Amino acid sequence: MSEAKFWNRHTETLPRARLDALHLQRLQALLHYVYERSAFYRKKLDDARVKPGDIRSLEDFRRKVPLTDKSEFIDQQLANPPYGPTLALPEALVVHHCETSGTTGKPLSIPYSMYDTVRYGESWVYGLWALGIRPTDSFYFAFGWGNFAGFWSAYWAARRLGCRVISGGGLDTKGHINAILRLKPTVLISTPTFALRMAAVAAEMGVDASQSSIRFTYHAGEPGPTALPAMREQIEKAWGAKAGELLGIAEIDAFAPGCPVGDGVHVNEMNVFTWSMDPASGKETAEGEIGENIITSYVNSAQPLLNYRSHDLVRRRSSCACGRTWTKLEGAVLGRTDFMVTVRGTNVYQTAVENLIGEVEEISHSYELVLTREDENDAMTVKFEPVRTVHPQRWDDLARQLSDKIHQALHVRLKCVPVPPDSLPRYELKTKRIIDQRPKEFRRALDR
Amino acid sequence: MEERIRKIREARALLAAALQGCDLPQIEAMLRNADMELHWALWNLGEPVPLRPEMAPT
Repeated sequence: MSEAKFWNRHTETLPRARLDALHLQRLQALLHYVYERSAFYRKKLDDARVKPGDIRSLEDFRRKVPLTDKSEFIDQQLANPPYGPTLALPEALVVHHCETSGTTGKPLSIPYSMYDTVRYGESWVYGLWALGIRPTDSFYFAFGWGNFAGFWSAYWAARRLGCRVISGGGLDTKGHINAILRLKPTVLISTPTFALRMAAVAAEMGVDASQSSIRFTYHAGEPGPTALPAMREQIEKAWGAKAGELLGIAEIDAFAPGCPVGDGVHVNEMNVFTWSMDPASGKETAEGEIGENIITSYVNSAQPLLNYRSHDLVRRRSSCACGRTWTKLEGAVLGRTDFMVTVRGTNVYQTAVENLIGEVEEISHSYELVLTREDENDAMTVKFEPVRTVHPQRWDDLARQLSDKIHQALHVRLKCVPVPPDSLPRYELKTKRIIDQRPKEFRRALDR
Repeated sequence: MEERIRKIREARALLAAALQGCDLPQIEAMLRNADMELHWALWNLGEPVPLRPEMAPT
């Protein structure tokens, strides 16, 4: 069994026609399920004058079933917490609760049934297996647990594969290094930037991470070894290990395991149906063209997601040298439609920072978000203008106030730097707020 | 593969029979978990099975 190339050769190599037939059957069943059980979807479909029986082809599904967006779910949940009419199961069947980090403003609550957690964990295993990880390996989890789905689903995956689990919850970076030296795990699970940070701290401790027991690193949560080849090179060199990555979205699934060839991820077509859309026109994009990934999940019983806008820009390919027939997303996520950047594992939306700046009375509405690379991490500096009536001696107080406000709301500490009033550029048309000064190799493909 | 799928379906039928009238919560939970795994096996063999076994107990 351990010599097998794929976790499930049968489904990972199903012919396209068979996959599409399965998708249609499963999408039709899903539509009946949500129409019967989710007040949110019943209204959505009724408003669009679509009945589940109207969908007779994949084209019908893409064209007729309304798009959904995260903000709709958050609004429904805020009006009727914790889940509102988005819940499609009796609440008693919700066995696990996760949340997004709330960086768009409010966190999205994510309910899972028992079966949802099993299937979510299983999604990771396709990529872990393809990288070479086997049940005899042991996992080290370098993060605090909290309510983040990415971490919990990685734990469900390790359990699913039958590996030893070692939690690093509550330890600082040196503590993680010491635990790895003492317990000798073979797989490191972390955000990619934290893997590099750990290796740097190890070096400061006089420890060469590349000589440690770690043989594999596996990542999610921010652009990693697949999207950024330079990142792969750095991680693999620092840890003397093979680095892998999956693409997941907390409220959906770890839905795209890394490709064994290493230059993209494959959509897990047992769990989700995806297509790409030109975000401006709403029209489907063809293979090879860049479009927004639109996702429908079969494996979220508690809070189903149909034609869900990911805001990830991707390029689809229908074949791959690795042998998987599942749709490949070349280079993983190439860019974003919504000005989102990831800072130390936390998604930071320009609009969220802008809203917080607007809440501080003595700061003008002109600002810049400057992205740089520091200590193997992406860093963001907020340049802001105090209004003219504020004496320069108070600018640093304003910077602290803004930094604390951002930290409290977005759970990430950003450096806030005051600049003289009216010194930032003003734009008549498209305002440029994000100034990306990172080396090109550490930017998503479309941001280079 | 057909033979394997047939046997999995038979196993689910046996589980359904074992579940009938079961009044031990522990054993009932175990049988339901076993059925969930077998449903998942059929799903991942590309078989047409209902979406939600937890909503349609065997």
